[in-house]
Amino acid sequence: MKKLMIGFAMVCITVISCTKAKTDYEAELHPVAPDEAVFKEVISIKDAGYEISIETLNGIFYKGYNEIRLTVTNAETKKRLSSGEVSFLPLLTDINGDNFSCPHRYELKYNSAEENYTGYSVFTEITDEKNNWNLYLKITDSGKIVKINKQIKVQQHSNKNLNMTSFKGKDNEQYWIALISPRSPKVGENNLVAGIYKYNTPKSGVGSEFPDERQFSYSEVNEYTLQLDPRMPEPSMGNHSSPNNKDLKQGDDGLYHGVVNYTMTGDWTLNLIMQNQQGQILKGTVVPTTFTPGVEGVKSELHIDILF
Amino acid sequence: MAQHNPKKKDTIESIEEVRVKGFAKQKMQTDLKMAVSVDEFLASSDNISFIKRGAYAWEPLLNNMSSERSTITIDGMHVFGACTDKMDPITSYVESNNLSSIDVTSGQEGSMHGATVAGSIDLKRKSTAFTADNIWSGAYQTGFEFNNKQFFNLGNLSYSSDRFVADGSIALRKAGNYFDGHNDEIKHSQYNKFNSSLGLAYKTGELSSIKVDAIFDQAKDVGYPALPMDLLLSRAIITSAAYKQMFEDGIVKVWDTKVYYNAIEHYMDDTKRPENLVHMDMPGWSTTYGLVTKINLKSNMFSSEIQLNAYENISIAEMTMYPQDRSKKNMFAYSWPWVTTRFASVSMNNSWEFSENAHLNFGGTLGWNFNKVKYAEFNWIFHPGSPQEKSRILPSLHASYHINVSNFNFSFGTGYGHRAPSVSEGYGYYIYNSFDRYDYIGNPDLKNEISYEGNASAGYKTDRFGIEAKVNYFYIQNYIVGRILSLGSPMNYQSVGVKGYTSLDHSKLFNFSMNANYNILEHLHWKGTLSYAQAQDNKGGNLPFIRPLSYITLLHFMHKNFGIQASVNGDFEHGNFSPAYGEDKTPAYTIFNVSADYTFRYKQFKTMLQVGAENLSDEYYSTYADWGNIPRMGRNLFMALKVSF
Repeated sequence: MKKLMIGFAMVCITVISCTKAKTDYEAELHPVAPDEAVFKEVISIKDAGYEISIETLNGIFYKGYNEIRLTVTNAETKKRLSSGEVSFLPLLTDINGDNFSCPHRYELKYNSAEENYTGYSVFTEITDEKNNWNLYLKITDSGKIVKINKQIKVQQHSNKNLNMTSFKGKDNEQYWIALISPRSPKVGENNLVAGIYKYNTPKSGVGSEFPDERQFSYSEVNEYTLQLDPRMPEPSMGNHSSPNNKDLKQGDDGLYHGVVNYTMTGDWTLNLIMQNQQGQILKGTVVPTTFTPGVEGVKSELHIDILF
Repeated sequence: MAQHNPKKKDTIESIEEVRVKGFAKQKMQTDLKMAVSVDEFLASSDNISFIKRGAYAWEPLLNNMSSERSTITIDGMHVFGACTDKMDPITSYVESNNLSSIDVTSGQEGSMHGATVAGSIDLKRKSTAFTADNIWSGAYQTGFEFNNKQFFNLGNLSYSSDRFVADGSIALRKAGNYFDGHNDEIKHSQYNKFNSSLGLAYKTGELSSIKVDAIFDQAKDVGYPALPMDLLLSRAIITSAAYKQMFEDGIVKVWDTKVYYNAIEHYMDDTKRPENLVHMDMPGWSTTYGLVTKINLKSNMFSSEIQLNAYENISIAEMTMYPQDRSKKNMFAYSWPWVTTRFASVSMNNSWEFSENAHLNFGGTLGWNFNKVKYAEFNWIFHPGSPQEKSRILPSLHASYHINVSNFNFSFGTGYGHRAPSVSEGYGYYIYNSFDRYDYIGNPDLKNEISYEGNASAGYKTDRFGIEAKVNYFYIQNYIVGRILSLGSPMNYQSVGVKGYTSLDHSKLFNFSMNANYNILEHLHWKGTLSYAQAQDNKGGNLPFIRPLSYITLLHFMHKNFGIQASVNGDFEHGNFSPAYGEDKTPAYTIFNVSADYTFRYKQFKTMLQVGAENLSDEYYSTYADWGNIPRMGRNLFMALKVSF
């Protein structure tokens, strides 16, 4: 009987330990090491009696949307500039020597609480052997104008949730859509934030002074609508969709806000249709609702792929 | 129906519980077959039918209601399957040689162990009584079934003395694919099961004892031909420790308390199905802790059982889908997002005997059900803002009056009770149902299902002849079913759409059965059963899995040590089917079965040898409750040997 009991106890011990480990769900939600998402200095410039510091998230300029925080300090008085004006122009020079810019806020806004100037820049290319980015800053302090330019490096973001896309709309305008939030989505409901920008075709000739900001003017588009249809394009998912999503509409901050539901982790595509103020479709196609297992899911002609 | 066995007051040797109500099937064998699986045994009960997804682990339907609507317990212990697709009903974690009987109680009379609508099925563990002498007893059964090459070996051994009792059992079953009536192999219908159990009891005093009990069950490589996946492995460990105190004087006769723990793990396997383009892992875990304590009271005309039940269960089920390009990231979701269920109830069953010929059974339960879901984001996708925690009060009441008038007996009863939605109904997420090919989504805000029930029976009995008819009727408010959701898109590869669990305003179920037996000669007996059910939703549409008119008739002849049994069973056409739930019309079928046995003694060994055949005419058929119309087994010859001492 004792032997039987010992045998039984051994069976119990082997049994209580589960055969397969449970999935670490929290880890599953963050396939990419979560970036710290704190503002760090990316550039500091000492020039013409000023110390200029620019901060971005993680201290890196990424392809896509970047929030910019800039401080200007008088090198002598160590006083931060608060009443002046700061303009911000990123310029891309390609292999042919042609110059382009990207959606950005030219006149930075002064934030008195943080004592800094804020703006954004949606870099459209990464820095590589073909593409070279320069930043042109113009500081106006009590009537005095200081111009500074500095080469910067734009890197690829490992987080696909901050992807961007650019396209020409049916109105022949050039548009960019950049994802801003969520940085690290979760299963279920996520507030989706994106910026929509367009290039303002210059009305005047090129000025004598380089760079002529009027040639590189971009603006946030107003009162458009982004219709949203999230799908899982992976063949095994049959272009699976999710319920209760909300189209993106412009908020008070100029950005577009909507709701996306992710039913599970994995590759997702945000299929979009962009409509202007009059409801005309400028870009995007309807994705059929048929469940198509075994084939790569159909996407809208306007879409952004994400992964979480 | 109530059994009141006289109790010896001086020893604990013959602990016989006061059984207030219900009926138990004794002896784990059917009329036709001596060595049966738990499923085959349960199938011989009138009000139980089965949804079959293959040859193994049939889902028992009590009063034609799915298993969420009944409480299934092992000696009063709650155990919950770990498979979202109901591949592991609790009955699949026991074996016929570690059970002594199965108590089936219809309707609210079965609410003793927990809230129910359909009733309760309690699987009674084998437990040997204390004896004055030291006694070893045991049995060994072996057999072979030719159709699916099932080979089984079941052994159990008991030791009893005046202070100590041990019961042990071990069982092995291995079966290959079965063949239908057209002699076509039903692929993926094999199974492999190992089950063992051990119970140890010790008498701590003249009137008290303690008992520890454990069951270990493991099934491996089990095919489910009606499903798109099989079972890689399922394991259950079911343990309990009990203390029992009896009282010589006073109205309290027995106090019995048990704590229990059980853990189930269940791993599905779809890699053996080449038709699956998507590989998906779907493991599930279910762990339950619980307490059940009861006292039995008895005075002259009145007996009563009061029971307190409490348990906590956590159910977890995962889905990991693998992309075709395996270098890409896996896709992951919970089909049960860590759902905790806590339940506590106080219940009471009373029997009041007015006279020799009349008694009244009545009782009630007050239950509290609490659910909490850890990863509520999954539920919020379809039900934004639904609460992460939910409490429900589940009352239940029942009464029945039983009277004998000379050779006639009659009973009338009524009941009222609530049940909470099951884990899948409340919190399930994209659970694929291969019957109607929909993905099912749970709804945390579902209302309690409320059952109003009436039942009656009438019988006539003489020494040679007996007949009894039973009817029951359920009017169920907030009846929970799956309804097509227009906003969902399927997730599972084979799925055609998404259904959400919703409440119908009401549904109605009606069950009827008639039993008769006649002793034609001293050694020639006849038995027959006819049963019928009907069920409709609030719009008059049929509900699924409702048994059509069905019958079984059996002749049993004994001569000296020989016995011969012949039976015919079948269903009429299933005309009241439910297309909305994926059902189609199932034609009538008739099955003939026959068996013969021979019993002899060799020294102290009692030996019984049996040979027989099921589905003698090799009928090709499937029943109304066969998942995906999977054909049943064709002709099956079986032989079995049982040696007991």
